[in-house]
Amino acid sequence: MAEGTGRGEMISIWFFVGALTLAYGLVLLPYGAWEWFGHHEPHTVLNNLHPTFWWGLLLTLFGTIYTTRYWPRREDIDKI
Amino acid sequence: MSALLTAQLTHLAPIDVLILVLYYLLVIFVGFYVKRATNTSEEFFLAGREMTAWIAGLSFVSANLGSLELMGWAGSAYQYGILAAHWYWIGAIPAMLFLGIVMMPFYYISKTHSVPGYLQLRFGEEARALSAISFGLMTILMSGVNMFAMALVMKVILGWNINFSIWIGAVTVTVYVMLGGLRSAIINEVVQFVLIWAGAALVPILGLIEAGGWTNLKAQIARNVGDPSYTHLWSTLGHFRSNPMGVHWTGIIFGLGFVVGFGYWTTDFLVVQRVLSAHNLRAAKMAPVIGAAFKMAVPFIVILPGLICLGLTSHGHPVYHLVGQNAVDAAHPYSYNEVLPLMLIRYCGPGLLGLGITALVAGFMSGMDGNISAFSTVWTYDIYKAFMNKHATDRHYVLMGRCSTLVGMVISVATAYLVADAASIMDYVQALFSFFIAPLFGSVILGMLWKRATSAGGFWGLLAGTVSSISMFIYTRLGGERALAHIAFSSDAQPMAETLYRALWSWLICVIVTILVSLMTTPKPEAELVGLVYGATEIPDDGATALWHKPIFWAVIVIVVFFILNLIFF
Repeated sequence: MAEGTGRGEMISIWFFVGALTLAYGLVLLPYGAWEWFGHHEPHTVLNNLHPTFWWGLLLTLFGTIYTTRYWPRREDIDKI
Repeated sequence: MSALLTAQLTHLAPIDVLILVLYYLLVIFVGFYVKRATNTSEEFFLAGREMTAWIAGLSFVSANLGSLELMGWAGSAYQYGILAAHWYWIGAIPAMLFLGIVMMPFYYISKTHSVPGYLQLRFGEEARALSAISFGLMTILMSGVNMFAMALVMKVILGWNINFSIWIGAVTVTVYVMLGGLRSAIINEVVQFVLIWAGAALVPILGLIEAGGWTNLKAQIARNVGDPSYTHLWSTLGHFRSNPMGVHWTGIIFGLGFVVGFGYWTTDFLVVQRVLSAHNLRAAKMAPVIGAAFKMAVPFIVILPGLICLGLTSHGHPVYHLVGQNAVDAAHPYSYNEVLPLMLIRYCGPGLLGLGITALVAGFMSGMDGNISAFSTVWTYDIYKAFMNKHATDRHYVLMGRCSTLVGMVISVATAYLVADAASIMDYVQALFSFFIAPLFGSVILGMLWKRATSAGGFWGLLAGTVSSISMFIYTRLGGERALAHIAFSSDAQPMAETLYRALWSWLICVIVTILVSLMTTPKPEAELVGLVYGATEIPDDGATALWHKPIFWAVIVIVVFFILNLIFF
């Protein structure tokens, strides 16, 4: 059964968690790369550490793991 | 407050708006998605009682992680130092573990739908009515306060129109709670919990790097404020005068740790409702333990940014000089409450700023949906079904749940506008919680642990405790420092001590009155107490076989970590 969303549903609550973080990672990662390699760093403290790029990478990895691990599958319903 | 509304701190870039929009789309989608699985009252009000321990546990801690609290305690950390962490550690962890290990079996096996519902089973209709009406009133008002706070924060940070923020928050929460009930609220709370960490964790990480690590930060704070006590949790609590908060260790341990903490975490239906949705007894016992483990980590994203803001220096001078809300002027444009937004703006450029703002919005919405879903349950089960329409169909009660969600939100919006017109109302609404929570804990704990407690004892104890709390509140408002000195037994006590000692005294009054009245009245036969009271109930086996499956095993690990943390920051 898909955890948390009710009997008979396919999408697990953890898939929602993964999908949102993956979406944010995919927005932040290329933007951070553009800032870093295009020399468009924002005027923030410690911008030399490129936090947008690294945080985007972390969210992408976290989101990918959760999205693939909890990808909606037909057999989850059939087991019920 | 008008001074606060004159200028905005920053603005959102298109990428920030995209991040915010993605979040809104997801929460609305969740509402529509789970509506199909939300048809019966059990599904609407208790999420079908099918949540795992992890989901119930994260939702349990997330429902309490509203942005009003995040921003308020970050500001308190700037104002009072690390003492603010007590509200996350001793004020929460022992109580959460007690709920999971001792109290949850009774809530769970009694099959009650709510905390007022438990009071009805144990003490009768009068106690339920008193508890349900007071709880319904305060949740709906708190939801309005949350809504206004979100609108004010968006106005201060981004210059958004107050009406726009109020209505977009209200409509979004109404849609997903009306459609999916508690299930929808729980899913969104779990997503919000992850989002809050994703949006806020970068600030303390970068802040510690800038400050040169924890040891350097402590030294800089001591230099900036001229007092080393701001980074000690316990060693300065020997006297009211020796710490920035003006409190004493007795108030922290007995007032906060025992009464306020236990009162909130074990009897506030807003949080207990999340645990009641667990799919079996073991999950119900594990959920608060998991919640406690995550709660211990929250000071990292709340208290630490406040301390970093306090310790940052530039050319030997503090970077920030924040003041109380009433002292904001041209020379000091920022108040304590703006610590988190200021830190976000310091470290987060476009994209990360949007993530941080979305985390704040998510925090506000989890606060609102928690209040609204709990109100809808208590209204439908403990007021409407109990006193107005006992024999309607299940379908009718679900419809009533959806309608009360809508009506509750309309009242919340009205409260938000009322607070906008008279800001002082906000303080009174927040004080409402403290009137009811401590005595309610007295009634519930005696009801669960003492077979001799009678219905009359429970009702009069609860009433006496509540009235005494309100009386002490009025007394200290009218009597000033002299009255405060009477409540806290010290002329050096500061306002923060008042809440702790008032809770302690009102709890004691509730317990004493309950015991006295119970001893003078006839107790219930033991057969009627089965499933409700310790000693009259055989606690069913929770099914845990291996040691690492047992909730008590994990509770011991959490409490050991809790002690270690307190010793490290002693």
